Amino acid sequence: MTPRRLTPVLRLQECGIIAVILVLGILLTWFGGTVRAPVFERGADGARHRVYETGADGARVPAFAVRNKFLNAQNLAQLAKDTSFIAIMAVGSALVIISGGIDLSVGSLYALASVLGALVLRHLGPEGSGAAHHGWQGILLAAAACLGAAAACRAINGALIVVLRVHPFVVTLGSMAILRGLAFVITSGQSVGGFPDGLRALVRFQAGDGLTVIPLAAMVLATVAGWIFLGRLAAGRRAYAVGGNEQAARFSGIRVARVKLLVYTLSGLSAGVAAFLAIGYYGAASSGDGQGYELSVIAAAVVGGASLSGGRGSALGVVLGALVIQMIGSGIVLLGIDQNYSQIVLGSVVIAAVVLDNLNTWLARRQFLK
Amino acid sequence: MKIPRPSVLACLLLSASAAFAAGGRTITIGVIAKSQSNPVFQAARVGAEEAARDLGARLHADIRIDWRTPNDEDAQKQAQAVEQLVLAGADGIAVSCSDANKLTDAINAAVDHGVPVATFDSDAPASRRFVTFGIDDEKCGEVIMATLVKTMNGRGVVAILAGSQNAPNLQKRMRGAVAEAARHPGITIRGVYYHKETPQDAAAKVEQVMEANPDINGWAMVAAACLFTDNALPWQPGAVKCVAMDALPPELAYLRSGQVQVLYAQQCYQWGYRSVELLVDRILLDRSPASVKEVSPLIRVDPSNVDAFARNWDVWLRK
Repeated sequence: MTPRRLTPVLRLQECGIIAVILVLGILLTWFGGTVRAPVFERGADGARHRVYETGADGARVPAFAVRNKFLNAQNLAQLAKDTSFIAIMAVGSALVIISGGIDLSVGSLYALASVLGALVLRHLGPEGSGAAHHGWQGILLAAAACLGAAAACRAINGALIVVLRVHPFVVTLGSMAILRGLAFVITSGQSVGGFPDGLRALVRFQAGDGLTVIPLAAMVLATVAGWIFLGRLAAGRRAYAVGGNEQAARFSGIRVARVKLLVYTLSGLSAGVAAFLAIGYYGAASSGDGQGYELSVIAAAVVGGASLSGGRGSALGVVLGALVIQMIGSGIVLLGIDQNYSQIVLGSVVIAAVVLDNLNTWLARRQFLK
Repeated sequence: MKIPRPSVLACLLLSASAAFAAGGRTITIGVIAKSQSNPVFQAARVGAEEAARDLGARLHADIRIDWRTPNDEDAQKQAQAVEQLVLAGADGIAVSCSDANKLTDAINAAVDHGVPVATFDSDAPASRRFVTFGIDDEKCGEVIMATLVKTMNGRGVVAILAGSQNAPNLQKRMRGAVAEAARHPGITIRGVYYHKETPQDAAAKVEQVMEANPDINGWAMVAAACLFTDNALPWQPGAVKCVAMDALPPELAYLRSGQVQVLYAQQCYQWGYRSVELLVDRILLDRSPASVKEVSPLIRVDPSNVDAFARNWDVWLRK
């Protein structure tokens, strides 16, 4: 690559966070140590089987391999899978944040979408009354319920914000309680499981050494969709404009209400996608799901460079932010650090991110004035 | 000047912490309770750590406890913790399941990787865990209500404090209590009341309910988080009868003051101790329990044995 071609890459907004991920990865590889892991192989039936070897006394004993705790395919695949649910939601929430709004009810929306999708799936599952009638159409129906409900709820939020001019903080705070309450009323507080095997097999499908393909692919698609929306579509550019200066955007002819309605609906859609994937992967949903996810999602957005005052951020940055947060959580486990410190670390990262962001803005402004 | 993007602090914190992570180990047992904020699980943690110390000394093994409990109840995080523990090389896992359905696949995957799993307090019956240790929740609800009915001489208006709506074990206890009340024609249930499982929220709920329903003269607390704080009960000793779950140190004061008549203690210290014992038996000695379900009996605590019971906590909470 010539220096000229390298320039756009080095100018990439997310360079800093990529460097942080690399440093974290090196630290975890170095300090994580090794683990004795059982060895598996795929049989003729495609299933994984334990590998056995003959011991010194002639007995058949399970084989183990020593590998790095962090830098091994299974752990990286697990990291990607765990990141995907939060990252997908974070891309949607980032659109709201970029447009100058805030979304405090993403966890409750995730819970409501999960239980609605789960109820449809249970109806179509092995013990449900609709099991005989539906195959893949039934799963699509459940996905539609999950995504549709989430998008509709968030569209209502958006409408309340633009029509009644209620502050997004208040609307989404109220929704946080309402949506979780609805999820509870619908399920009576019970966990909803018993889904069709087809969906579970699809979402849990693993390629290679434990790579869960579907959540990962969904995360990549969400990132690309977010990148196209924000970087290539006029609607995305308008979201930046509204978040940067709403008044100026209005005077320049942007239909602010329409932009806000759109970003809230898309945010709901992303929560619906994450919820559907999670119920497929974990096999159940309950009204208690997603508690505290607001913090994780907002933290991912902020760490990934989205400005809480609006007008700045990117889909890729937010996904990388989610990855950093997941790496920290995973690192705490791998290093055997007392988990009591995990919240302190996460909170510190969020505050540090905001402080650096403010400092960055101040320095940029100073440079501009010069 | 461009400041590098955030999270530099995260690197520094992790690298500093990593220095403490070194050290050899023979056996690591991951313990995943439901939530950090519930004191019963802190007793379970002490139990697990003391079991590791006792058994380590007895079996000449270095047994480490890797405590991986979410801050708030979250079955998805528990499932992720099971998966992470397997990858981190845990030799056994003990888990109290916030949602059995969600934990089942993770537990089965751990077993497939050769990691034995025990459940405590809250089971995942469809999973391939080799043992479960805990109370019979429905029976527990029945016992609480039966005792309350007895202290009220079979007549009165009762309320049920049931904790979080989302906890399946509390729902079972509540159902047991309601079923038992139905067997006593002199008893009317005014309502089943849920709350966020913090002492303040629980206490506020009791106060609110008593304000709105002054005719209530009995409380069956199948979850008694309100008793984890001082002065939570808005009644004079004996004016309202109360039978509650668990017997943590703050709860014992209510028993002594006469505001609560009977407490039923779960063996929360044993959740940790016994689970680790069962896992170590399995891992080191290749021994399995006689039955998959090991029921831990409830301990009745009333004014006659409250002081003797209180002394247990000095051990359980390392005072």
